[in-house]
Amino acid sequence: MRIEIRDLRHTYPTGEEALKGVSFTIEGVTPVAVVGQNGSGKTTLVKHFNRILSPTSGAVLIDGVETTKQSTAKWSKRVGYVFQNPDDQLFLNSVRKEFEFGPERVGVPAADIQKRLPEIAELCGLGDKLDSHTFDLTATQKKFCAIGSVMMMDPDVIIFDEPTCGQDVEGSRRLSEIIGHLEKRGKLCVTISHDMKFVAANFPRVVALCHGRVLIDGDSREVFAKPELLKKSFVSPPPISRVSLGMGFEKPAFSVDELVETMKARRRKMA
Amino acid sequence: MSKQNKIKTKKTSSYIPLDSPIDRMHPMVKIYGVLCLGIGCAAFPFLWLSYAVVAFLFCVAWRAKLLGRFSKFIIAFAVPITCMLLIIQGLYSPKNVTVLADFGFARLGLEGVVYAFKTVGTLLVFLGGFYLMTTTTYPGKLVTAMQDAGLNSKAGYLVLASLNVVPQIQRRIAVIQEAQTARGVEVEGTMSTRFKAFLPIIGPTVMSSLVDVQERGMTLETRGFGVKDVRPTSFVALYLTPGEKAAKKVLVAFLIVCVLFAVFWALRPVLGLGV
Ligand SMILES: Nc1ncnc2c1ncn2[C@@H]1O[C@H](COP(=O)(O)OP(=O)(O)O)[C@@H](O)[C@H]1O
Ligand SMILES: [Mg+2]
Repeated sequence: MRIEIRDLRHTYPTGEEALKGVSFTIEGVTPVAVVGQNGSGKTTLVKHFNRILSPTSGAVLIDGVETTKQSTAKWSKRVGYVFQNPDDQLFLNSVRKEFEFGPERVGVPAADIQKRLPEIAELCGLGDKLDSHTFDLTATQKKFCAIGSVMMMDPDVIIFDEPTCGQDVEGSRRLSEIIGHLEKRGKLCVTISHDMKFVAANFPRVVALCHGRVLIDGDSREVFAKPELLKKSFVSPPPISRVSLGMGFEKPAFSVDELVETMKARRRKMA
Repeated sequence: MSKQNKIKTKKTSSYIPLDSPIDRMHPMVKIYGVLCLGIGCAAFPFLWLSYAVVAFLFCVAWRAKLLGRFSKFIIAFAVPITCMLLIIQGLYSPKNVTVLADFGFARLGLEGVVYAFKTVGTLLVFLGGFYLMTTTTYPGKLVTAMQDAGLNSKAGYLVLASLNVVPQIQRRIAVIQEAQTARGVEVEGTMSTRFKAFLPIIGPTVMSSLVDVQERGMTLETRGFGVKDVRPTSFVALYLTPGEKAAKKVLVAFLIVCVLFAVFWALRPVLGLGV
């Protein structure tokens, strides 16, 4: 899987220049997180991956093919997009119908759909909710219903727009599981998130945007080792990373265990 | 333009902020304009008046720096409606006596054609006027004007909210359509694929509008619109200039003349003035 973004610019009809020349390439299936303050252009950027938006100038290439070559509906087979607000996406009267809708549209055989359904419902924690109306779901369940309905289409890339927003601990854990599952199955996952703890735990690569440009792009340890630069985009590394940086460690820790390990190692060295 | 201003115009109404004499005009004059011109034209028995008023509205649109958009709006509306009415009324109106053209399967009648043009003219005056009013008036000003005229604040808020409904539904449809295409629904292409794509989104659009209405009701309560015996003041203050007072009088006079003439015309046979 290869997504190449070449000097991408996007100006909305209102005259708002949301992207001012963004270039980077995603190769392989290592999960990528896109971070940055509100209005920095994250949503605008990822909406180019399946041609919901077309570049004002520049280009986005999916495995070498310019996105403008075909319609969003055609791209939906390969590039799945989970909207930030599930209410924009869900409109049928049961979870089961939501799950079946996308794959039916892109011509997946009925037998395959039925085979995928229980597994994905289970992953999304909706195994016993398949025949519930989507109105009767909690906010978290709705979000997972939207995620599941896109996973059902089995695209090669899945984009999550702020899936952690309004999510509890249980929801975040489930999301990590889904991201792991996708990577294992050879699917690329690109996620917008404001939850840096979640980002540190799940995404080896982080791209930070600031006012329509790439601020930093790289390995999450390297990105979170630069809190001063990140501040420009109102992003701060997870608290535990800040603690470890503050203590003078070179690489930021991403969990308490890690920090403890590094401290122990340091003590052993000193002793 | 300030950031806040931008958000306002992007999100909440059909208002287009342009500095023009029409924009600065007291909203009450515009409301009088829409009503007096519209009702006057509807009452007036000859069709030329409506088209004269439409021509006048074009001048207003030009003064408001909206000539392009206004023309588009009028054409997008007038052409299909005129064709439809011409076919229905022109070919099949029971009033048809004078035959203009004979197509074999049906005859085009003068009376139906005149009726069709009269109806289109009146609709254009109403809708054109309403379009100009909403695009040139900041909604807050409109509501303040109505409240100054004695409308209570609840009703004012509802007027404001309903003015926002159309752009809001348009935005909603755009968002839902985006979400649908991302799930494999083709919205580009022939009429029939587009229509098929449109069907599934009617449900959620209506639903979310209903939710909106409910939220609006709750907003009224939480913002103290239910408070009694206190006359709320408004942030936007409005005064009528002498010119605007005169304009109001002219508009009312126009309405009265039209209605009187219509009554006179209808009573012609009774008054014994030959046909
Ligand atoms: N539909 C739109 N029309 C006009 N401007 C928009 C639209 N969507 C987003 N913008 C503007 O583009 C900029 C980037 O927005 P967005 O991509 O949504 O940012 P993010 O997802 O990082 O919060 C913002 O300044 C926003 O106001
Ligand atoms: Mg966003």
